[in-house]
Amino acid sequence: MKTNYISTSAISAATRQSIFKTQEKLAAAQKEVTTGRFADVGATLGYKTGQTISLRQDHARLKTIIDTNSVVSTRLSASQAALKSISDDAQLFVGQLIGARNTASGPTVVQNQAKTSLVSFTNTLNTALDGAHLFAGINADVKPLTDYYSSPTSANRQAVADAFFTNFGTDATDPAISAISAADMQTFLDGDFAALFDDPAWGTDWSAAADQNVKSRISTSELIETSANTNTPAIRKLAKALAMVADLGAQNLNRGAFEVVVDNAIRLAGEAVQDLANEQARLGTAQERIKSANDRMSIQVDIMATQINVLESVDPFEASTRVAALMTQVETAYAMTARIQNLSLLKYLPPG
Amino acid sequence: MSLSVGLDVALSGLSTTAEQTSIVSRNVARANDPNATRKIANLVTANGGGVRLASITRAANASLLEKMLGATSTAAAQNAIVEALGRLNQTAEDPELDRSPAAMIQKLTDAIQQYASAPHDAIRAQSAVTAAQNLAVSLNDATTAVQNVRAQADAGIADSVDRLNTLLARFEVLNNEIIKGTRIGADVTDYLDQRDGLLAEMSEDVGIRTMVRSNNDMAIFTDSGVTLFDVKARSLTFERTLFYTPTSAGNAVYADGVPIVGGSGPMDLGSGRLTGLAAARDTYAVRYQNQLDEIARGLIEAFAESDQTGAPTLPDAPGLFTYPGAPGMPASGTLMVGLAGSIRISASVDPAQGGDLSLLRDGGMAGDPAYLYNTSGGSGYVDRLDQYISALSAQRSFDPSVGLAPTATLNGFSSSSVAWLQETRRSKGDDAAYAETLLQRSSDALSKETGVNIDEEMTTLLELERSYQASSRLISSIDNMLQALLAVAGR
Repeated sequence: MKTNYISTSAISAATRQSIFKTQEKLAAAQKEVTTGRFADVGATLGYKTGQTISLRQDHARLKTIIDTNSVVSTRLSASQAALKSISDDAQLFVGQLIGARNTASGPTVVQNQAKTSLVSFTNTLNTALDGAHLFAGINADVKPLTDYYSSPTSANRQAVADAFFTNFGTDATDPAISAISAADMQTFLDGDFAALFDDPAWGTDWSAAADQNVKSRISTSELIETSANTNTPAIRKLAKALAMVADLGAQNLNRGAFEVVVDNAIRLAGEAVQDLANEQARLGTAQERIKSANDRMSIQVDIMATQINVLESVDPFEASTRVAALMTQVETAYAMTARIQNLSLLKYLPPG
Repeated sequence: MSLSVGLDVALSGLSTTAEQTSIVSRNVARANDPNATRKIANLVTANGGGVRLASITRAANASLLEKMLGATSTAAAQNAIVEALGRLNQTAEDPELDRSPAAMIQKLTDAIQQYASAPHDAIRAQSAVTAAQNLAVSLNDATTAVQNVRAQADAGIADSVDRLNTLLARFEVLNNEIIKGTRIGADVTDYLDQRDGLLAEMSEDVGIRTMVRSNNDMAIFTDSGVTLFDVKARSLTFERTLFYTPTSAGNAVYADGVPIVGGSGPMDLGSGRLTGLAAARDTYAVRYQNQLDEIARGLIEAFAESDQTGAPTLPDAPGLFTYPGAPGMPASGTLMVGLAGSIRISASVDPAQGGDLSLLRDGGMAGDPAYLYNTSGGSGYVDRLDQYISALSAQRSFDPSVGLAPTATLNGFSSSSVAWLQETRRSKGDDAAYAETLLQRSSDALSKETGVNIDEEMTTLLELERSYQASSRLISSIDNMLQALLAVAGR
């Protein structure tokens, strides 16, 4: 028996198999160098693949929220700008009312001013952004405020005229209304006229908005209101103040009744400015929360991207040195195969 | 001792050298045949002092052969499993490609989040519904892919069974030749080599044990002890299932009437490709299918609609995602086999089927007004959309029989399903690599022990040449002597 024996096919099989295995590794290493990630992420990570998938999910989720937050932020900024312009208008209007209270031409001036303001007030509140009305609450597809000066006569204007006629037996345009006393006017303003701006009349004649504001998910855990609507007290008060100056026949009223109207309008508009400031503050808080949520989520997104990288990436230097080493190995194996092929007794036997 | 005896001995030397040379050529000729073994000429001293070839034996090593056969079976089983898992992985692919059900669920969540940021927007609604559609289709496709893996494994089993039957028939012929040859003392070493080759081929498909009896008669048993060959070949039978659905169960392979694979019998094979294929068909693919089914059930549950009236009386009904069993809900926390194949999005929300996109936001997909969430009809209504998002990240219970955490979020469950698949691939891949190495080592060992070394054959040839020369020289010397003798006598 031979103590040390090896068959010829075992010798060549050994080099053949080592070349085959090295080439397989080389292909994987080359892929890793070019992509910077494991050649077969799933098979390399095994159960840890669950982690990278979860991370990728959370990553995508936060990025989407940051994305949608910009949509919400745009809406909030537009709403803020609209509220600011309404508030500025209201303050201007109060100033004019105060100035006009004791001047002879006052009624005409403020009545015209009130008409213009009412139009711009309505237009501003009916602003739409990307097809959605900013101040309609969740009824985003409808114009929230009825256009007061539309033709045919709008429901809200008709309601004001009807209330006036019911109370005083005459139209507001009739010069005869100069007979209305200040006390009667105050009663009317506090009674039938005020009722027009309360529910249910407000909802049917003036506003088509929903009380419910649009809510937005601004982070994985925060769901906040991110809109204002035209049913808030600020809007009702301002609409009331503008309508009473514009459409109760200010020009024809006697001085006492006119003063009652102006005083009420000044009070209401002043209150409205206050309420608008509260509303702006509420939206401002929402903007602030979005900003801080975004800051927080951006940090998380970065961390997650890093973690995904840590899990799935290979060190490019390590991978490229591995490629170099494997290539040397393959070359050595080739050289060895050639040598071994030459290593035959046959070559050294004298020709028979 | 006479000169003529010397001549006879030298002559026997010449003829045995010729026979030995022919063995050397046989060895050299088959040096690269992996099944070939080294043939050894055994010489004995004949009556009268000559030599003759007593027998030809081969360098065999039964224990190394058995080890090699075992390693072959194990490696074949592991490779079959790894291959099947690789095909299952087509449903998940690289995490970067976002192709797994988990990633598709995330895409749907993102699309709903986008829609919630502008709920009046029909385009965003469309993109959310499309994401839902893609998710349903990807689950359907995954089901088809998994069932294809099962069908392929089944076809593989049928191929293996056919091949085994052919191999066993050839084995019978060879075995008979060997018995006959051994009885009359003929050289059967080449037949023995061929028979070992057949064993090696068989061991790929099925784990085998062998037993050699008198006259080199061999019997083959499976590693679980079922007879495959004993004097006569036993037939293996298998009825192929051509089309697989999640509920179909594959047939068992019978050997000699006993189920050896795919049943739950005590005689089930321990190794061989058949075992691997059956494991892929009946264990891994089924397990993965069940996980997909649970994902589908989780989706139907997360998007289910409940009775929104003041005093709810109606049961929950499937909403965005529905299945043929609607309007009833699948039983909570219980596997419903094949659900992933039949899940689809509700026709009432799919514009392609005449549905209304806004139902995604407003609810009421079940058709009954009691399920309407957005009672005011406002187009800025987001509560329902937000409920979806919460439901997707809410803990829910899953059937523990699918082998994943029984309580998890839908996202978590679907990513742990991918994790399960990848971990199985990784560990089975390692096992396969180990089995492959083991096979390599054992066949190396066998080849080293029993194979032919050309160099050695060449040295043997040199020896033979020399002894041929010596014998020839003897003959010519004796001839010279006889010549001299005759010359003396002639005078």
